[in-house]
Amino acid sequence: MTDIKYESKGSLLRPFKALAFLGREPVTEPMGPRPASENYRGFHLNDWEKCIGCGTCKKICDNQAIRMVSIPDLPADPVKGIRAERPAMDYGRCCWCGLCVDLCPTGSLSLSREYVHTCTEEQISSYFILPDPKGMHGQGYEKGWAKTADADLIDLERQPMHQLAPDERTDSFAEVVDGFDPQSALLEASRCIQCGMCHDACPSNMDAPQYIRAIWSDDLEAAIEHIYDTNPLAHVCGRVCTHRCESACSIGIRGKPLSIRWLKRYAMDQVGHDRVRDIVSKRKAPLPDSGKIAIIGAGPAGLTAAYDLALQGFQVTIYEGLPQGGGMTRYGIPEYRLPYNRLDDDIDIITSLGVVIHYDTWVGRDISMTQLEQDNDAVIVANGLHLGRSTRIPGSDHAQVYSAIDLLRKITLGEHFDIPQRAVVIGGGNVAMDIARSLLRLQQRTHGRTDVTVTTLEARDQMMAAADEIEEAEEEGVVIINSRGPRQCTVDKEVLTGLETVHCISVFDAEGRFHPQYDEDDLTLYGADMVVEAIGQAPDNDFLGELLTERLEWVRGRLKIDEEGRTSEPWLWAAGDAVEGPDVIHAIAGGHRVANSIQQHLASLRKASA
Amino acid sequence: MSKEIKAVRLDEVLGEMEGAVMQRKRPGRIRVDIEADALPTLLQLLKGRAGYLHLSSISCVDWPEDEEFELVYHVWSYETGVLVSAHTRISKQSARYISVYDLYVPAGFFERDIYEMYGLYFEGSPHMEKFILTEWNGPPPMLKSFDTEEFVRDTFDWKEYNPDWLQEIVAKGGGIVE
Amino acid sequence: MRPENYKSVEHPPSHEYELNFGPNHPGIEGNYALKVKLEGDVVTEAKADGGYLHRGFEKLMETRLWMQNIALVPRICVPDPVPMEVVYSLGVEELGGLEVPARAQWLRVLHLELSRIAAHLFTFGGHAATTGMYSNMFWGVTDRDYVLDLFEQMSGGRVYHMYNVPGGVRRDLPDGFLARVSELLDYLERRLPQYDDLFFANAVFIDRARGTGTLTQEQALSWGVTGPNLRACGLSFDVRRDDPYLVYDQLEFDIPTETAGDALARTLVRRAELIQSIRILRQVIARLPGIDGPIRCPLPNPLAWNVPMGEAYPRVESSKGELCFYLVSTGGDRPHRVHVRGPSSMHAVQVLERLSIGTRIEDVAQTMFSLDACPPEVDR
Repeated sequence: MTDIKYESKGSLLRPFKALAFLGREPVTEPMGPRPASENYRGFHLNDWEKCIGCGTCKKICDNQAIRMVSIPDLPADPVKGIRAERPAMDYGRCCWCGLCVDLCPTGSLSLSREYVHTCTEEQISSYFILPDPKGMHGQGYEKGWAKTADADLIDLERQPMHQLAPDERTDSFAEVVDGFDPQSALLEASRCIQCGMCHDACPSNMDAPQYIRAIWSDDLEAAIEHIYDTNPLAHVCGRVCTHRCESACSIGIRGKPLSIRWLKRYAMDQVGHDRVRDIVSKRKAPLPDSGKIAIIGAGPAGLTAAYDLALQGFQVTIYEGLPQGGGMTRYGIPEYRLPYNRLDDDIDIITSLGVVIHYDTWVGRDISMTQLEQDNDAVIVANGLHLGRSTRIPGSDHAQVYSAIDLLRKITLGEHFDIPQRAVVIGGGNVAMDIARSLLRLQQRTHGRTDVTVTTLEARDQMMAAADEIEEAEEEGVVIINSRGPRQCTVDKEVLTGLETVHCISVFDAEGRFHPQYDEDDLTLYGADMVVEAIGQAPDNDFLGELLTERLEWVRGRLKIDEEGRTSEPWLWAAGDAVEGPDVIHAIAGGHRVANSIQQHLASLRKASA
Repeated sequence: MSKEIKAVRLDEVLGEMEGAVMQRKRPGRIRVDIEADALPTLLQLLKGRAGYLHLSSISCVDWPEDEEFELVYHVWSYETGVLVSAHTRISKQSARYISVYDLYVPAGFFERDIYEMYGLYFEGSPHMEKFILTEWNGPPPMLKSFDTEEFVRDTFDWKEYNPDWLQEIVAKGGGIVE
Repeated sequence: MRPENYKSVEHPPSHEYELNFGPNHPGIEGNYALKVKLEGDVVTEAKADGGYLHRGFEKLMETRLWMQNIALVPRICVPDPVPMEVVYSLGVEELGGLEVPARAQWLRVLHLELSRIAAHLFTFGGHAATTGMYSNMFWGVTDRDYVLDLFEQMSGGRVYHMYNVPGGVRRDLPDGFLARVSELLDYLERRLPQYDDLFFANAVFIDRARGTGTLTQEQALSWGVTGPNLRACGLSFDVRRDDPYLVYDQLEFDIPTETAGDALARTLVRRAELIQSIRILRQVIARLPGIDGPIRCPLPNPLAWNVPMGEAYPRVESSKGELCFYLVSTGGDRPHRVHVRGPSSMHAVQVLERLSIGTRIEDVAQTMFSLDACPPEVDR
C-alpha cells in the first residue's frame, strides 16, 4: 500500500476508475432475515425443564427487563429448590447483553439466533414474552449465545474448609471442622445469588439469604439478627443441622452448593457470646405476659418454643429429666461434631430471657402431668426419641449388645462401660456413624488401636447417613460393609463373639416399601466383643400416665397432632422428634409452630372472656 | 535526558507548593492533594515550568456526607509521559470556585459541564450556561441527592403489557411476582 | 429613464444570516447542531449545541452494579464502542487489582483494532459525503459492515458487543475466526487503492480538503486536541505507544503524522492509521494462536462484588483520540462516580466553534466531519 503525499494534487481522472464497478454485482442482501452468527444474542430461549424459577436473571438484568411470572400448572418443590415461576422478558427494555445467560445457575436460559420482531401499536403487548425452548415466534431457531465454561459467572466451587486430619482427631473428641476464617467466609458468602431457595427449603424458613448477605457485607451483628429471627439454636444448627438449605441451593445444580451451615457457624463464632445475648435481649417484649407455659424436655423443640414464648413475655418452665439441656443434640451428637460449650451458649441465651429449666426432673416421677395441667395455661410435650430400637435377632439380649442411643448418652454423661477391642455397629444412618466414630475414639484412647465395623442393610448409595459423615468415618478407619442383614449375635459360653450377617439383595420392594430380600447362602461373621444397634429410636411416653395415654389420640405409636402441633387435649401441644421423627431443624420448626399456636389460642381465650 | 530534567522540575514544583501531598500511584501516574486556594498556582507552575500542557479533564465527585465536591484536574506532560491528578475539595455551601480557563482552554467545556451537572459555579469561566440540559429546570442531576428512579417514577405514567399468555396465567391464579 | 417620484428605501443588510447546522445533519455522526452566523457565505460566529443524545450514562452507571455497566459503556460512542468497553474494564481492573490473562489482552487488541478500522471506514464515508461524494460513503459503510460481521461472530452483537468485561473478555474466538480476519484484511488492502482512486487521490476532494479547518500545532495543544487531529498538526503522540496499555508495547506499528493541520492532513493521517491497524492485526493473527490460557480471570459473583475503595484514570487511544474514564469506588457494589472524558467533547465543541470562524458555509460540514467528533460521546 502506497502513501499519499499531502502535497499531491490528486487526479481528476482516477475517480472514473470506479466506473468499473458498474459492471459488477451490486452488494445486495436478500429480503428475508440473514442467518445470524452462532454466538448471536437474539431473543431468549428458556428450557422449562431445567429452569427452577430462581429469578437470578431478574437480579442481574441491567434494565429491569425481566420479571418473574408464577405459573400454577408447573411443579414446585421447595425441598429440591424448584419454584413454579419462569422469567418473562420485556423487549422494550432488554439490551441483549446476555448477562442473564452468563449468570443463570441452571444453564436453562440462552439467546437464540432469531432477531426480527415487528408489530403495530395495538400489538404492543407482544413485546412482553415468556421465553420457552421454541423461541419467540415458535419457529425453533437455534441457540446463539448460551452458557459456556469461559463465560459462566457462577462460582461453582466451594471455599475449602479446613478440618483436622484423621490421625489428628481420632484420639480425642476435639471438634473436627475448623470453621471459616474471615476471608474464606466472605468469599463463600459472595457466591450467593440470593435466590432464597434455601429459605423455602428450611423447615424453619431461616432467612439464609439475608444472613449470608450480611456476612458478605462484614456486618456480623446483622447476620445474628437474621439468624435469631427464626432459630435460637444457632450454634447447634451452625454445626450439626441437616442443612436442607444446601440441598436446595441453586448453585448446587451445576456445582457445589453454598456452605450455608458453616457460614451460620462462622457468624456465631465470630460474634462474642455476650454480644449475642445483648442483641437477643433487645427482642424481648417490653411487658410480661401473665400466661404460664410448661414444657417437657429441653431439646431443640422445647427450647425453641420456650424462646418464642419467653420473647412474648410468657413465664416458661422446662422440665428436663437429664442433668443438662439440649436433648439429643447433647446426648446423641458426639462432641467432635458439636462442642457442648457451644450448646451451653445457645441454652444460656434462652434462659437469659427468663426461661426456667428444672434439670434432673422427670415428669411422671418428680411431677405429674395433672400437676402441670393445673399450674399452666398450656403444656408442650417435647420429650424426643430416647429409646433405641432393637433388631430382636437371637443373642441381641446379651449384655454386650447395646443400643446406640444408650451408649451415646453414656459417653456424654461420662458413665463407665468396657471399651470393646472390636465393635460391630448395625445401621447405616447418622446415629450409626456417631457411635462408630465415638467408639473408635475411645478405642484409640484406651487401647491405642481401633477396630470398628459398621454393617448396613442398604447398599452404599442408599445409606441414610450424610455423605460427609460416611467419608469422615472411613477416613478415621471405620470399616463400612454394605448390604449385610443381621442374623444373630453369636455367643460362646456367655461371651459375645460377633455378629453373623447375610447378604441383603434388596431393601425395598417394587412399591418402595421396606421388604428386604436376603441371600441365605452368603453368611459372614464379624467378630466383636460389642455389638451396637443403631437402627432407629422410639419415644418413651410412659410419663403421660395411663389415664392421659388413654384419653389422647395416637398414630402408629406417636401422639397425634394437627398442623399446629395440638394434641387431642386442648391444653396439650407436642413438638419435636417424638412426633415428627429425628431431625434438629424440624424440631426447631415444630417448636415455633406450637409456640405460635399457643399464643393464638391464649389470645383468643382472653378475647372470649373479655 | 529531558525526562530526567523534567522529573526534577515536577519535584521542584511540588516542593514549592506548601501543603501539597504527592503520591505515586503507578509509573506515570501521580496524585496530588492540595488546598483549593493553592490549586490554580499549582496548575500554573505545572504548565509553565514542568511542561504539563494538556488538561485531559476536570472530574467532579459529589461527597454528600462531607458536604463537599471533589475536583480532580488531570494534566498530562507530552514530554515526560506523566499524568498528574490534582485533587481538591470545595465546600458545597459556597459551591463556587475559580476557573482555570485562562490557563487551559479545555477547562471551558469541563467547567460548564460541572456547573450544569453539579451546580458548582466557576468564576471567570466563559460559558456558565446550559449546554446539554437546555430544557431542564430541576436540580443539578448528578448530585447524589437527585434520585433518578424516583424522578422517572414520578414523571412518567407506566402502563403494563397484557399479552394473551399472561391473561391465561392470571386466569389460572398465577401472574407476575413482584 | 426613471420615475420622477422614486425614493431609495433603507433595506436591512441582507448579507447576514443565522443558520442551524443540525440537529440532523450528515456533517456529524449523530444528532448535534452547530449554530452559525454568516456574513455572506463566511462564518463569523459558531456555537455548538449538544444534548440531543444525552442519556445520563454517568448518572446511570452510579446506580448499576459494576458488571451491569458493561451494557452501558459501548453505547457512549456508537461508531467506536470498543475503546469504551476496554477503558471501563481497565479502570475496574486497576481498582480491583485484577490480572487480565495474556490471551484476553491480545483478544482485546484484536477487538480494538477492528473497531478502529470500522470507525475510520465510517468516517471516510461520512467525510466524503460532506464533499458530495456519496459513492465513497456507500463504500465506507458497506465495508464497515464486513467488520461488523466479524464482531457478530466474535461477540454475538454487531454494533454493541459488550465483549470486554473487567478481568478479560466473555468469549474465546469461534473456529476459523482469525482466518476470516485475515481475509478481511486482504480484502481491505485490495480496496484501499480503489478508495484512493475515488477519494483520497481525487483532485476534487484534495482541493476541497486542503486548507479547510486548519489547526496549528500550538492551537491544537492549547485547545486540548488529541488523536489523529493532533497528529495531523505534526505532533507524534499516541497513547498506545506513549502511555501503553494491554500488549501494545509488544507490537510494531508507526504513528502516522502530517504537519498541515487541515482537513486533508487529518484524513491522510486516518488513512495511514488504517494501514497501521491492518499491520497490527496481522501481528495479532500471527501471535494469538501461540497464546493459550484463560480469557478472563476468576471474577466474584456479579451480584455480590464490592470493588475496593480507590480511584483510577485509565486511558486509551480511541479512533478519535484520548479516551479516559475517571472511576471512583467507595468499596461498594457499584461505582461512586464514572466521569467519561471523550475526545469528542473537545473536538465537537470548543475546537469546532473556533475552527468554523472564517470558514465558508460549504466547508462547515466538512470541517465538522474532518474532526471526527462523536456527538453521543459529547452528550454521554
